[in-house]
Amino acid sequence: MGGVEDDEPASKRMKLSSEELRRLSNGSTIKEPVAGSSRDLMARPLQSEGGEEVVGSKGVIKKVEFVRIIAKALYSLGYIKSGAHLEEESGIPLHSSVVNVFMRQILEGNWDESVVTLRNIGLTDERTVKSASFLILEQKFFELLDEEKAMDALNTLRTEIAPLGVNDSRVRELSSYIVSPSYCSLTRSPKQDTVRARSRSKLLEELQKLLPATVMVPEGRLEHLVEQALVLQRDACMFHNSLDKEMSLYSDHQCGRDQIPSQALQVYETGVSLKHKLSGHQKPLSSVSWSPDDRQLLTCGAEEVVRLWDVSSGECLHVYEKTGLGMVSCGWSPDGKWIFSGLNDKSICMWELDGKELECWKGQRTLKISDLEITGDGKQIISICRETAILLLDREAKVERFIEEDQTITSFSLSRDSRFLLINLLNQEIHLWNIEGDPKLVSKYRGHKRTRFIIRSCFGGLEQAFIASGSEDSLVYIWHRGTGELIETLPGHSGAVNCVSWNPANPHMLASASDDRTIRIWGLNNLSTKRKEPCSNGIHYCNGVY
Amino acid sequence: MGRIFMITLEGRIYSCKHCFTHLALLDDIISKSFHCGHGKAYLFDKVVNITEGEKEERMMMTGLHTVVDIFCVGCGSIVGWKYEAAHEKAQKYKEGKFILERCHITVSFTRL
Repeated sequence: MGGVEDDEPASKRMKLSSEELRRLSNGSTIKEPVAGSSRDLMARPLQSEGGEEVVGSKGVIKKVEFVRIIAKALYSLGYIKSGAHLEEESGIPLHSSVVNVFMRQILEGNWDESVVTLRNIGLTDERTVKSASFLILEQKFFELLDEEKAMDALNTLRTEIAPLGVNDSRVRELSSYIVSPSYCSLTRSPKQDTVRARSRSKLLEELQKLLPATVMVPEGRLEHLVEQALVLQRDACMFHNSLDKEMSLYSDHQCGRDQIPSQALQVYETGVSLKHKLSGHQKPLSSVSWSPDDRQLLTCGAEEVVRLWDVSSGECLHVYEKTGLGMVSCGWSPDGKWIFSGLNDKSICMWELDGKELECWKGQRTLKISDLEITGDGKQIISICRETAILLLDREAKVERFIEEDQTITSFSLSRDSRFLLINLLNQEIHLWNIEGDPKLVSKYRGHKRTRFIIRSCFGGLEQAFIASGSEDSLVYIWHRGTGELIETLPGHSGAVNCVSWNPANPHMLASASDDRTIRIWGLNNLSTKRKEPCSNGIHYCNGVY
Repeated sequence: MGRIFMITLEGRIYSCKHCFTHLALLDDIISKSFHCGHGKAYLFDKVVNITEGEKEERMMMTGLHTVVDIFCVGCGSIVGWKYEAAHEKAQKYKEGKFILERCHITVSFTRL
C-alpha cells in the first residue's frame, strides 16, 4: 500500500494538507511538523516491509487497514489536523498520492485530467474504469449545460461519453437534456431545478462507492463496524427486554435476568374479577378471539356455533351458524369487518359482521382441533389442514403454501408482524418458522412437558424477542427466541399451565392460565412496578378457565 | 381441566371402550393373533391419542421385551402396550409397534 509511489508523495501530500488547512482558520503552525516527519525515517519502515502487520489479540486486523479507517473517521468527524497528523505519524497515507490527485481534480473540475488519472490508479476491472469515467464525464456534461455551453456539452456526449459503451439508455436521456432545457430529472430536488449538475462532492461520494474499498476507503466504515458489533451484542443478550438500557462502547452489553417477568404479581381465582358472565353456548368453548378494537369478543363452542359479544354490555350481538355443521374455530380480519370460522366438514367460511356469508373454502382446509389465524394484511388464512401440515391460504391470490412437519401439530401462534409462526408439536417441541415466501424452519425450543393437553405458547417481550409456553409440569417456560436457550422456568401454579399470553403493551408482564383454576400475572422481581392492573387484552386464550 | 388434544380418525376405526376416543385405524393392523392376560390382542403399526407409562422389562410368551404401557388420553384407562425393544432377533419386527387389547377397544365406523 503506497510503496510504489514513494517518489512522489512528499510534496503532493503536503500540498493537499495545506489545502485542507486553508479551510481551517490557522494553517501556519501545522506545516512545520508535517514537513519534519515526512523525512523522519521512523515513520517509513513498516510500510515498505510488506505492510502485513496485524493488531488486536486475534491477529485478524491488518494494521494498515485499521489506521486508514481511523484516519477516514477523523476526517469525517471534522478533525482535519488530527487526520493529517495520523497519516504522517503512522506513515500510512489514507489515500495513495494518485488517488489524492484524482480527488483534487474532481473537486476542482479538471475533468479530462481526472479521467487520465483514473487510468493511472491501476484498477483491474475495466468496467469499473468505464463506469467511473462515465460518471465524471456526465458531471462535465451537466456543468457545461449549466454554463449554457450546449455545443460543448453535445460534443462531450458524442465524442467522450457515447464511445464508452456504457449505459446507452442514459446516453439517450442525456441527449434529451440538450433538446429540452426544462426537462427535469427525478433526482433533482425542487429548489435545484435551475442547476442541473449536482455538487462535486456528491460526485466524489458516488465515485467512492464505485471504486474498490482498498483504493478509496468507504465513507463511515469505522462507524459501521462499531455498530455491527453493538447489534451483535444486543442480539446475543438473552435477557434484553428494556428500551432504556443503553448500549455503551466501554463494555460488552449484557442485561441481567431482572428484565424478565419472574414473580407472580397477582393470582386470579375465577369469579373474582368477573365483569360479565357470557351465557348462551351449549357446548364447551373451543376458542375465544378479541376484535381488533377490543370492543367485541368472538366465542366458538366446540362443534357448535360462533357468538359475537359486546364487551362493555355483555350482550350477545350475533350468532353465526351453518345448518348441519358445527364450528370449531374463529378469528377476525385485521380491519374488524369480517369473521372467519373453521367448520367440522374441514372447510373455512367468511362472514360479514351482520351474518352475510361472503366466501367458503371447501376441501381439506382445517381440522376439528385446529387454531385459526389471519395475518395482519388480511390476506392469509392459517390453519392446520392435516395432522402434520399447516396451510397458509392466500384468499385473494388463491395460492396455497404448506408447512410440513414430521410430528403431529397441536397448536400454533402468529407473531405480531405476521412474519413468523410458532408451532407446538406432539413430541414436546416448539418450532419457529419464517412464513415469508417459502416457509423456513428457524429454531426449535425444548424443555416443557406435553402429553395429553393442548398447550399454548406465544411470542413476547421487547420486539417479541422471547418465547413463552405453558407446560404440563405446572411451570411457565421462557426461552430467548434468537439463541433458543431456556432462560426461565416460573414455578407457582399447582396444575398444568395450559396457555400463556405476554402483554403486548408491557414487555414486563405475562399472564398464564392453569388447571388449578387460577390465572397468574407475572411481573418483574423488583417491586417498583408502576402499574398493577393487567391490560384487558393481555389474555387471548384460557383453555383451563371457563 | 385443560383441553385434551385429540386426533380424529376417519373410516373403520377402533376406539376406547369407555370414552370412545379414537385409537387406531383397522387398516393399520399388522397381526390379529396376539394374546394378553385377558384374551386377544392386535398388533398395530400406528396408534393415536395415547400416553405412555414407564419402561419395563417384561417376560412374554415370545421372550423378554422392553415395553411401555399405553393409556387413553380421554379417560386414562390402560388400553395396551408398546414394544420399545425386543431382546431376541426374531422378535425385532415388533419394535416401535403397538398392542391394543381386544377387551379395551370397540370397533366403529366414522365419517366426516
